[in-house]
Amino acid sequence: MKKFAYELFLLGLIGVVFAIAAILDPRFLSKNVQLELSSEIWELGLLTLGMTLVIITAGIDLSVGSAMGLCSVSLGLCMHANLPTWLCALACLVTGLTAGALNGSLVAFMKVHPLLVTLATYGMYRGFAEGLQSATTNAPVDASEGIKSLAAGTFPLVPLLFAALTVWTAILLGRTAAGRGLYAIGHNEEAARFSGIPIAKLKFWIYTYTGLLAGLAAISYSARRSATAEAGMVIELDVISAVVIGGTSIEGGRGRIAGTLLGVLLIHETRQFVDWYWQRSELTLIVIGTLLILAVLGHRFLFAQNPKTR
Amino acid sequence: MNKWLSLIGLSLASLLITGCSGSDSERDDGTSTRPNSDRITIALLPKLKGIAYFTSCAEGAQQAADELDNVELIYNGPTTASADKQAQMIDKWRLQGVDVIAVAANDPAVLSESLKKAQDAGITVITWDADAQAEDRSFFVNQATAEAIGGGMVDTMANDLGGPDAVGEVAIISATATAANQNEWMKHMETRLQSYPNLKLVATKFPGEDQNAAFQDSQDLIKKHPNLKGIFGISSVSFPGAAEAVKQAGKTGEILVTGLSTPNDMQPYVKGGEVKTVVLWNTQDLGYLTVYAAAAIRSGELQPGATEFTAGRLGKKQVSGDQILLGDILLFTTENIDQFDF
Repeated sequence: MKKFAYELFLLGLIGVVFAIAAILDPRFLSKNVQLELSSEIWELGLLTLGMTLVIITAGIDLSVGSAMGLCSVSLGLCMHANLPTWLCALACLVTGLTAGALNGSLVAFMKVHPLLVTLATYGMYRGFAEGLQSATTNAPVDASEGIKSLAAGTFPLVPLLFAALTVWTAILLGRTAAGRGLYAIGHNEEAARFSGIPIAKLKFWIYTYTGLLAGLAAISYSARRSATAEAGMVIELDVISAVVIGGTSIEGGRGRIAGTLLGVLLIHETRQFVDWYWQRSELTLIVIGTLLILAVLGHRFLFAQNPKTR
Repeated sequence: MNKWLSLIGLSLASLLITGCSGSDSERDDGTSTRPNSDRITIALLPKLKGIAYFTSCAEGAQQAADELDNVELIYNGPTTASADKQAQMIDKWRLQGVDVIAVAANDPAVLSESLKKAQDAGITVITWDADAQAEDRSFFVNQATAEAIGGGMVDTMANDLGGPDAVGEVAIISATATAANQNEWMKHMETRLQSYPNLKLVATKFPGEDQNAAFQDSQDLIKKHPNLKGIFGISSVSFPGAAEAVKQAGKTGEILVTGLSTPNDMQPYVKGGEVKTVVLWNTQDLGYLTVYAAAAIRSGELQPGATEFTAGRLGKKQVSGDQILLGDILLFTTENIDQFDF
């Protein structure tokens, strides 16, 4: 039980949000409303899977939102050229993979600090996205019927894909040598190196994986709205917040996918309800910020004696 | 055990914090989310919140809502000019069952799906300030015709640069590249520029609805085009951004800036000499008219085909096709700028 004390704490906070909603406006909790609002959770969820791995190694990826924008524009260009759906989706994923691999190479092989690398690519990818869009279509491209039925149709492809990737990432992290290697890197990189853990290889692949997830998120977003350079704007703040609220230590070495899932749910429900009830965009920002601090303090209270407990 | 106590304490604290802010806003707009059959709930969506232009529109809208005693007004918008965030808000309002949604669209394409769904749910959708796709709304409350605004800015610039024979290079600092209103105005600016053969348009920039980005784009333009004589700042934040860039480059008197913004924001530049004339309309009246139009359309008083309707203190307003026209542009100069406060 003690092992999951923090997850229980998060469940408690989610309960508090639902309780407040039930008192103030029960309509928010109706199945119909929750289902409609859930369309926004999948992109956030996908990105947090990669981000959890990255932060466990004491890294960070600020460029996920920008990479998503670049992927969305490349998807838009393909749809604009009337290419077949599978090719458009593939181009979008390859763009994400490339963006992630560039981050990964600089972090893993050139040994540049991830904060610097992704701060640079955060600007670069968004710049490319906007430049490419204004040089070609100069406007967002409506999702083609193929992309719409693929990612926003009646078959819940995106949620299922998210579920599958969540299970896969959790197993990778908790049950494999690679997962243990990621924790070891975050705990003490020097020690990990002496234990023969392939640090560069692991780091390269987690940033690349995060890029691929940005490609998937871009397909989902573009199917719901349109393919635009605006996709993923400031989503990195929510992604990092959700992971940290989920109990992953920003200093590395600690974190679980289960916690991340609860972090995503807590951020999503809080944001949606504050938007829903108070109708003040600026209040939402304040509440999410407060939540982040609350979660970090809550974690410290629970693990006061042993801050590195997983 | 201690830990569990502090945990409960934390949860209670969070409950308290949220609870307090709850009772706070209960007084001003907490009740507005509860639908009531004989009342009309109008959700007014600006391009973004927190800039003087839209804040003054909201003031006018609130005046109208206070006068019409059956109207509840919700005013909310994104904190940056994001079409995606606007779409999320429209979706929420649809689920809450408001009666009218009035949108200043950042991007007609991105908003299309959400607006269609809102219309299908029986909500009256209108646009104001910046239009959406025509089939996604019933009426557009237009501040002035695009020709009056675009042509007016070019005439103003030419006039301030020395009349019909004005000579020099000019540039446009627009806003979001997808905004229908700015794009429509620019078309008419280019047409009107043909009447001034010696004014040459050398560049157009899209910094978004962002004063700092407009400032930087203007700095780049000033460096790149040494013969630049005039800059058009055609959004309420591009205009002060461009004027500040001219001021900081020490080009006051050499490069003239004109465009669209609120008199309060532009007053220092008019006094400083970077700007001779500010072009705008009465923004409070635009918000006021939008709410009156929304209520009239919802109650069936204003229907397609009408040619005019009465909007409170503004009197009779012209309706042409699916557009409700606020009126003409206003020009603010050193002589009259102090008389306006918005």
